[in-house]
Order: sequence, then structure tokens, then C-alpha cells
Amino acid sequence: MKYLLSSAIILLCLTLAKLVMHFIGGSFPAPLLGMVILLTLLLSGIVKEHYVMPCASPILNIMPIFFIPAGVGFIEHIDLIKSNGPFLVSVVLLVPTSTLLLVSAVMAYFKGRDNND
Amino acid sequence: MTELTPNLWWLSIPFIVALFVLLRALNKKVQNGVLKSLTNPVFLSIAIIALLLVNLNLPYSQFSSHSQLLSWLLEPAIVALALPLYQQFIHVRKNLLLIVSTCSLGIVNATFVAFVLSVLFDVPNSLSASVAALSVTTPISLIVTDSLGGISSLAAALVIFIGLLGALFGFMLFKLAAIYNHEAQGVAMGTACHAIGTAAALSEHPKVGAFSSVAMALSALLTAIIVPLLYPFLVNTLL
Repeated sequence: MKYLLSSAIILLCLTLAKLVMHFIGGSFPAPLLGMVILLTLLLSGIVKEHYVMPCASPILNIMPIFFIPAGVGFIEHIDLIKSNGPFLVSVVLLVPTSTLLLVSAVMAYFKGRDNND
Repeated sequence: MTELTPNLWWLSIPFIVALFVLLRALNKKVQNGVLKSLTNPVFLSIAIIALLLVNLNLPYSQFSSHSQLLSWLLEPAIVALALPLYQQFIHVRKNLLLIVSTCSLGIVNATFVAFVLSVLFDVPNSLSASVAALSVTTPISLIVTDSLGGISSLAAALVIFIGLLGALFGFMLFKLAAIYNHEAQGVAMGTACHAIGTAAALSEHPKVGAFSSVAMALSALLTAIIVPLLYPFLVNTLL
């Protein structure tokens, strides 16, 4: 029963999000809207944490399996990857480095540089 | 292209599941931090399957259509991500404004830096859309990249590389910048390097790990909201 309720809540949020996106159009991904709907329901207390837990926990635990097939799809674009090697390497190096430095520096500006434990 | 005879494509899903479960179990046994990041089970599973398909000359289209069920399940799984988001939210209510703003800044920076690089290297649109949402957990990156018209599989691979890089060198970078504050390190790690960075943060210090988890959850939500708006804006104003 609790599995039924949990999966029903998740699927209802997804269906609702798909309907909304179908009617308003645009390219915003429906599953993300579904996530926001469920989060709103949780924060407002309409849906309790333990209602969604029975299905959400196992599905989150094995979630990486769901994106492995999509991840393998890069082999379809090997030529594009090879011909843009320097670009992709700069992205992989500069995006995390700049983000790590910027975010930590801003946080340190407000909270101090040193460890305050 | 060769075809599997007799038709063995039905093995796709059992193979993925078995491979991932095995690699994850092995990864849990690894103690060394660097080795643990390098033997990331998602990264290894994708690499092994890609190598198999390419070397055995098997068509990806067949593999993809036979593992469609898994890709469908990604949608309800993304909805279920609301649960950890909610659990993290209640822990940081008093610092919420600061963390939300720095996370947003980090996401805008990641998208902006990637976009500037796309302009500098003059790459095709499909490629610049593929690098717009990289500082976020893979499922969100996949789906946002898809909606921007990018190559989601390429984004997934880059996301994992970025996470690995952050896990391996992130703390060296903090040392160089003389930033030792646990909250600062954690929020930066979670924003820039998602789950792989968070795993490294957890092994560094529990407090760094806690803030990294919060930032990772927040940046999943914020990326979903910011990047689909920011990327078309950058395209329209800078191109």
C-alpha cells in the first residue's frame, strides 16, 4: 500500500508537469517541473516525507543505472568530439576551476577564510 | 555494422544493471581517495559499454532502443530528487539566502565561462548548448542539455569529468587560494562538482560534506531554473 501511494504521488507530479508543459508550450523539461511540484508539496506539508519515501529511496539509490544508456550515446559523436578536443579540454578545466574559486571566495568573504569550528 | 545473432540485444538491460552493481560494490571497497574517484562506477560503466560497442562494431541505435526502459525510468527518478532536496532544505534554513545566492552565482559563472569558450573557439551551436549545464548532477544536466538542443550524452560525459577533476584537485585549489572555511569549501564543491565532488568533500570533513550535499541539491534545482533562461539570453545578446 505504501509503495502504491509513493509511486502514485511521484507519477502524478510527473503527469501534472507534462500536462502543464503540453498546454503552455516551451522547452522547459517536464520532469524538472515535476520535481519542483513535489518539492513544493513537501515544503508546504501537503505531502509528508514518509509518503514518498518507500519508492523514492530505492529509485534514487539506483538512479545512475538510468542514465548509463544515455551516457554511452557519446560514441555517436566521436568525430565531433575529436575535432573539438582543445575546446572540450578547456571547458572541463576552466568551468570547475573558476566556479570553485568564485563560490568559495564569495562564501569566505561572508564567513571568513578560516575554519571556524 | 554487424548484428548480434542470435538476437542477444535483450541482454542490454541485465548487462548494464549487473555491470553497475558490480562496479559500485568494488568502488565501495576502495579506501584510497584518489583511486575511489577514478573508479567511479558510472564513469567506468559508460566507458566499458562504449568500448564494447565500438570494438565489437555494434550499433548504438540497437543498444539504445533495447535499453529504452531505463531511460524512461529517469523521468520519475528526477521527480523523486525532490525528496533529498527537501531533506537538505530544512538543514540550512538560517543560511539559505547566502547559500542560494552563492550557488546561483556559481551556476551563472559555469554557464557563462562555457559560453565564452564556445564563442572563442567558434564551435557549432549543438556543442555550445552541450556545455551550458555542466556543474550539476548528471540527470539534470542530461535533461537541461536536451531542452537546449545540445548533445546530452556528451554533456553527461563532461559532467563526470568535471566531478572527477574537482574531487582530485579541488582541495589543492582551496589551499592555493588560502580558503580553509568548511562552509566555503563545501558550498563550492557541491555547486561546481555535484555528487563526485560531494563524495570527496565527505571524506575530507563531515561538515564540508554536509554543506556540499546542500549545495549540490540546491544547484540541481537552481540549474533547472536558471540555465534554460540564461543560455538563450546569452545566445541572443552575445552572438
